[in-house]
Amino acid sequence: MTTKDIGPKNPVQKSADATIDYVDERSGVKTGTRWFLFRNIPEGTSWYQTLGFTAMVVFGMQAITGIILAMYYVPDTRGGAYESIQRITEEVTWGWLVRGMHKWGASVMIIVVFLHMARVFIWGAYKYPRELTWVTGAFLLLLTMFMGLTGYLLVWDQKAYWATVVAVNIFASAPIVGPYIGDILRAGPEFGPATLSRFYSIHMLVIPGAIATFIGLHLYFIVRLGISEPPWSKRRLRIERDEEDARREAARERAKALPGAVTYPATWPVKAEEGVR
Amino acid sequence: MKPADKKAYDKDYALAKKTGKPFFPYAIFKDTIVAGLTIVGIIVLAIVVKVEVGEPVNAATTDFVPRPEWYFYFAFELLKIFANQDVLTPVIMATFMVPNILIILLVVWPFIDRGPERRIWKRPFAMGMIVLVTGFLCYTTYLGAKTPAGVSSQGLPVSGLDEAGTAGMQVFMDNGCGSCHMVAGVGAPGPGPDLTNFGSKGWDEAKQIAWLKAPNPPMPSYASLPPADLEALATFVNGLGTKYK
Ligand code: HEM
Repeated sequence: MTTKDIGPKNPVQKSADATIDYVDERSGVKTGTRWFLFRNIPEGTSWYQTLGFTAMVVFGMQAITGIILAMYYVPDTRGGAYESIQRITEEVTWGWLVRGMHKWGASVMIIVVFLHMARVFIWGAYKYPRELTWVTGAFLLLLTMFMGLTGYLLVWDQKAYWATVVAVNIFASAPIVGPYIGDILRAGPEFGPATLSRFYSIHMLVIPGAIATFIGLHLYFIVRLGISEPPWSKRRLRIERDEEDARREAARERAKALPGAVTYPATWPVKAEEGVR
Repeated sequence: MKPADKKAYDKDYALAKKTGKPFFPYAIFKDTIVAGLTIVGIIVLAIVVKVEVGEPVNAATTDFVPRPEWYFYFAFELLKIFANQDVLTPVIMATFMVPNILIILLVVWPFIDRGPERRIWKRPFAMGMIVLVTGFLCYTTYLGAKTPAGVSSQGLPVSGLDEAGTAGMQVFMDNGCGSCHMVAGVGAPGPGPDLTNFGSKGWDEAKQIAWLKAPNPPMPSYASLPPADLEALATFVNGLGTKYK
């Protein structure tokens, strides 16, 4: 695309346009963004279909508040972890708010993801061609729950510690692979400093990375396949009504074409059909 | 779905899209409102219900309550359901079989329900499933929320305690055994089994101590307790329902 000199006179605007064109020529962002934003979605797309986006935004908020918490948190069991949580809550400016948002955000994210899944389930939106969208979503649900599990330990208080001991024991009770999973989670046979570091890195690197990857896949499928139409959209209901009318009409015609059928009420196509037999 | 159904769906969806409206601003508008309200709600919650700092970890002696976050209550309740049954190797059922079956069902659900029907009132089985599962999750979460957070340290209603028994009961309470086990109606009804009549199993002290040091999951190990405490605890538990009623 060449910039012809008929655009705005303002040199700032002109150079901004030129820059955007330059980048678009090489990357296609402008075209891509336009394609993404102005692609069509079904007419009846409803409020229920905002929950997936909401889950994504809450995840983003968790990432931001989590990064801020990581600036102050010390994953050390020997005087560090617990104290740093205390400091964040009691001393750091707005620390209590950031921690509060992160903690409540976790609960809200679980609820939002569950509601989103319920919406998809109730609508049958997991059916052809969106089966794999569902599968990536199911992994997102599991990963979100693992976030909660691994994050809980980090505050390193009594409740968190013992709940996590029990949770890890549950994983370790699986046949055959259980003991190995237990050792991997605990970073050894015992709960200790290494366990906390391990949970910290799983909580802030491994799972967020996996969630981001799966959200990427999820979105790819959604954009590629298009968002499904509500099963009760006006358009669908109209089609169903038309189909029903056509079916009745056909039955009526058939009934009429046969001798003796006129005596049956035409509004009861089923009866009419039976009657002629 | 049969190929013909797939084709019909593709055609119908293409039509829906053609007669539709652009993603921006229509969907983005709704998305932004709901997501924005949700974030505002989180901030309000964070301001109104402030986060707390709990007791620091003490791995040796504890008055602990192994309570997970509320969204895992259902798993704890599942443990309780199986804890008091001696059939079907309970722990494996509750911690391995049931959750894994549920997870697999969740992941492969679209490959099980493949019919073309999308209308809610034409899919009674799927709707029944979601009502059942949601009801179960809500109910078990409610049960979990209702369980008292701590167990009173007033003592347990058992009589016939001699010196060793009293010491053992103290260890039992100090270490929060009651937050997983019930004795004579006191304590949490799980995830661990009711110990009121444990004595009738006839375990000896060595067997009990070995268990306390390396129990079956999900019970945590008590190997870090002092030997004297372990002995007293073993005596107390082994006498429940026989010596100490
Ligand atoms: C972190 C969690 C998740 C995020 C961020 C997310 C994000 C999204 C977004 C933005 C959409 C677009 C439509 C909408 O908002 O409803 C969507 C659709 C979809 N999601 Fe999710 N999702 C998540 C979890 C799940 C889960 C747990 C499932 C199911 C097991 C799932 C299955 C689907 C399916 C099948 C669609 C397509 C629905 C349609 O086209 O109507 N997602 N998701």
